Amino acid sequence: MSCRCNNRVDPLVPEVAVIKNIRVDTNDVTTFTVEKPEGRKCFESMPGQCAMISVPPIGEALFSITSSPTEKNFMEFSIKRCGAVTEYLHGLEVGAEIGIRGPYGNNFPVEDELKGKDLLFIGGGIGLAPLRSVINYVMDNRDNYGQVDIVYGARTSGDLVHTKDIFENWPSRPNTNVHLTVDREEEGWDGHVGFVPSYIKELGFDTNKVALICGPPIMIKFVLQGLEEIGFKKEQVYTTLELKMKCGVGKCGRCNIGDKYVCKDGPVFRCDEIQELPDEY
Amino acid sequence: MEKITVKVRETARQAFSSGEVDKILGFAKGDFWQDSYPIFITNENEVDSLIWDSFCINNLSKYLIKELKNTQKIGVFLKGCDSLAFNQLLQDNRIEADRVVIYGVPCVGMIDAEKVKKEGLNKGLLEVKRSGDEISFVTKDGDKNVSGRQFDYDKCLECNHPNPVVYKELMRDEVSREVNKEERFKDVEEIEAMSAEERFSYWSQQFSKCIRCNACRNICPACSCETCVFDNAAAGVSDKAKVDSEDQFFHIIRAYHVAGRCVNCGECSRVCPAGIPLHKLNHKIIKDINELYGEYEAGLDPSKGAPLVTYKLEDIDPFEGHKGGK
Amino acid sequence: MKKVAKNKFSQLWNSINKDYELFLPIEKDGKVNFSLWKDEDKINLDAIKTNVSPKNIIFPQSETYLKFKTDGKKLSLENVGGKKEEYVLFGVRPCDAVSFNLIDNVFLREPIDRFYEERRNKGTVVSMACLEPEETCFCSSFGIEPETAPKGVDVFTWDIGQTILWEAQTEKGNILTEKLGDIFEEVTEQDINELEKLKHSIKDKVSSLPLSDVDPKKIDGDLKDIFESEVWDEISKSCLGCGSCTYVCPTCHCYDIQDFDGGKCGERFRCWDSCMFSDFTRMAHGNPRTSQKERFRQRFMHKLVYYPNNHQVYACVGCGRCIEKCPVNMNIVKVIKKLGGEK
Repeated sequence: MSCRCNNRVDPLVPEVAVIKNIRVDTNDVTTFTVEKPEGRKCFESMPGQCAMISVPPIGEALFSITSSPTEKNFMEFSIKRCGAVTEYLHGLEVGAEIGIRGPYGNNFPVEDELKGKDLLFIGGGIGLAPLRSVINYVMDNRDNYGQVDIVYGARTSGDLVHTKDIFENWPSRPNTNVHLTVDREEEGWDGHVGFVPSYIKELGFDTNKVALICGPPIMIKFVLQGLEEIGFKKEQVYTTLELKMKCGVGKCGRCNIGDKYVCKDGPVFRCDEIQELPDEY
Repeated sequence: MEKITVKVRETARQAFSSGEVDKILGFAKGDFWQDSYPIFITNENEVDSLIWDSFCINNLSKYLIKELKNTQKIGVFLKGCDSLAFNQLLQDNRIEADRVVIYGVPCVGMIDAEKVKKEGLNKGLLEVKRSGDEISFVTKDGDKNVSGRQFDYDKCLECNHPNPVVYKELMRDEVSREVNKEERFKDVEEIEAMSAEERFSYWSQQFSKCIRCNACRNICPACSCETCVFDNAAAGVSDKAKVDSEDQFFHIIRAYHVAGRCVNCGECSRVCPAGIPLHKLNHKIIKDINELYGEYEAGLDPSKGAPLVTYKLEDIDPFEGHKGGK
Repeated sequence: MKKVAKNKFSQLWNSINKDYELFLPIEKDGKVNFSLWKDEDKINLDAIKTNVSPKNIIFPQSETYLKFKTDGKKLSLENVGGKKEEYVLFGVRPCDAVSFNLIDNVFLREPIDRFYEERRNKGTVVSMACLEPEETCFCSSFGIEPETAPKGVDVFTWDIGQTILWEAQTEKGNILTEKLGDIFEEVTEQDINELEKLKHSIKDKVSSLPLSDVDPKKIDGDLKDIFESEVWDEISKSCLGCGSCTYVCPTCHCYDIQDFDGGKCGERFRCWDSCMFSDFTRMAHGNPRTSQKERFRQRFMHKLVYYPNNHQVYACVGCGRCIEKCPVNMNIVKVIKKLGGEK
């Protein structure tokens, strides 16, 4: 499912939206709740899709929608401060108006390949944000999916995002396990310590699952390696790629890897598809 | 085969076999009569691709910064104008002198393909041979011989340095050309003679042709910043909007950034796809520097201090002496 | 088919100008480019190639599409993109006309770029056959025949000496023809014969061009193998990373989106960008293409492999502008030959 924006208006033109709520998650990640000014969700989407958020005159940037489409009234974005647009966003207050357009990109195949399967979600740092849209979709349609294992790690416990979900909400759901880890020993943390790729090896999963990985490229690389070592095939693993994107609709020519555009044919890719792409990333 | 090409190949062969260099920057011939393009060879077997003719216009010093990063010793064929750029790069501390071997090529002038096409002489043209100012157009239907410099690039007609100013050895005898010092800044004086409104109108019109391709910046040997201010989003000046103010801003800033380091090679104007006479801007700044700080030619003598980076007590105070824009 | 005498051109321009904006190849300071016609302009319909391609008429170098105003926390947005006036683009060569179709493939597929679509719909393209193809032309390598009307042009014309023959190809072309009314004369048997002779002469000239043997189909093999080829190291060495090739090229269409800050108000515009520039793919987390070799490879892989994979046609029309404009004499012909296996 691709962009379903207003058909007569150019896909580059945003609509006005308002920030309904701001929650500071870590020292560089903040979650924004966004709605139309009159109080409804801006547009429908599927888990894994993204939206272009505009803060004129600074610019626009593409962010994955972290809330599941089963959330009827608003959309959430967990945004890490790392450039001009994100810096500006972090300085906004509740009630500030922004521009928004979307949804862009493809989605995780929640209605196809993932249905009926056991799922293994692996996230690193801010990588949990796109995965959360899938996890909550799964939780709201729980009977359609098998066992859910979530492995999530960050540099420190202060960098873990969506703490309500990872500590309270998800562990309380049926047939759902959450495994958290931080990179190094830390005072006050009595959970697992170690990098995500090695934690996965320790946990010893069976391979009759579909895996979904989101996080820093280096983590994805090692996790994939580890999964393959224990018997996963590339066709069983999904991930998301990220490149500089401007138009979001596959026309400005910037985000291609080989003949695929990350904004249009991605950002969700199956790992065997990635293998077909040139080694440019 | 032209004598100069033979000499170039011999020199290259000798340089490789003696281990004097690891890489040589020179020219090869493409499919067309005007297509002499830069190549980078690393061993004796490639030496026979090298040529030298009247279309070897590129300044190969430009590539030295990048190539020296991964090659220990480089040999390079340089003309007079190119050698000035080489010295300027030394002065800018961008390259090391003892890692470069210069094979100097005295030059009588390079031929402008556009001028040949304008005369219609490109029909069926296979090759252009030149000896001094005797030019021979070799076509499918016979040769046409012409005498004179009417096909030279405009910048070659104003050349002060037909002979390299720094080199290990020369590929042929030095060229002697009359250099008319009086007429040197004629093009600048023409514009200075205009009123302020006329000048603004002239340059506005010229800059409106700019397509912001950055060819002028990328070919310029003085523009060697690792990250140009116009490519740096954090600098806040990289607007690519096609509006007059942005176009003018780019060129004026660039002219000032290379002020005092421009060697007057004229490449900027040659490569401009829109035909803007950019070198006139730089030429004006050279004239002003000469008047303010005494005669100075960038790239002539790297040991002499450059006026814009050297402070002397007797430096003129422009606000008093010069009385602003003339 | 109709014909119009060349000595009636002034009347023709004025006639078109009554109902349309008119873009013609205009010569200024020795260079010919398509621009909006004004009475005193020097028109040059003989130059085979304009200096820069006509793509800036359908895809402007800089195009404001959004105006915004901020007022405390409030934001207001106004859509100002697109083109309102009908126009005629007269004198487009077949190669450039085909390039419009290539850009259409990207901009007019879902989701449709409405600004571009409006600009294309408002334009009537009048193309001209090339009497004297130049030595740097190689349109035939991409299946273009400069003596016949390419798909998509609204009117095709041939210069047969004192007159030009005029044939509408589409509904828009018919409408323009009707509007111009009685400036046209009827075509005679002799004219038709002249035309056939002309077509043959052009065909002969094209097949004897020095670059007529350039064959992009020789580039075959797996996408990843071509990508990893050692050829790229060698041919990208002299590339300076300026954007000359991309900006004079009729098929290059990469763009950037930027905001112009006017304080409490401003504009958002899109403008041409070049994959050759060092900051093209640079983002907060790094840059996948850090050296010129990678950027050089991207441009030609896109034109010769990626675009054909997605659209079943090469993204080059053989106009030869890159051959003439590259400061270091690099061009797509050299890339095609090297990738096709030539030493």
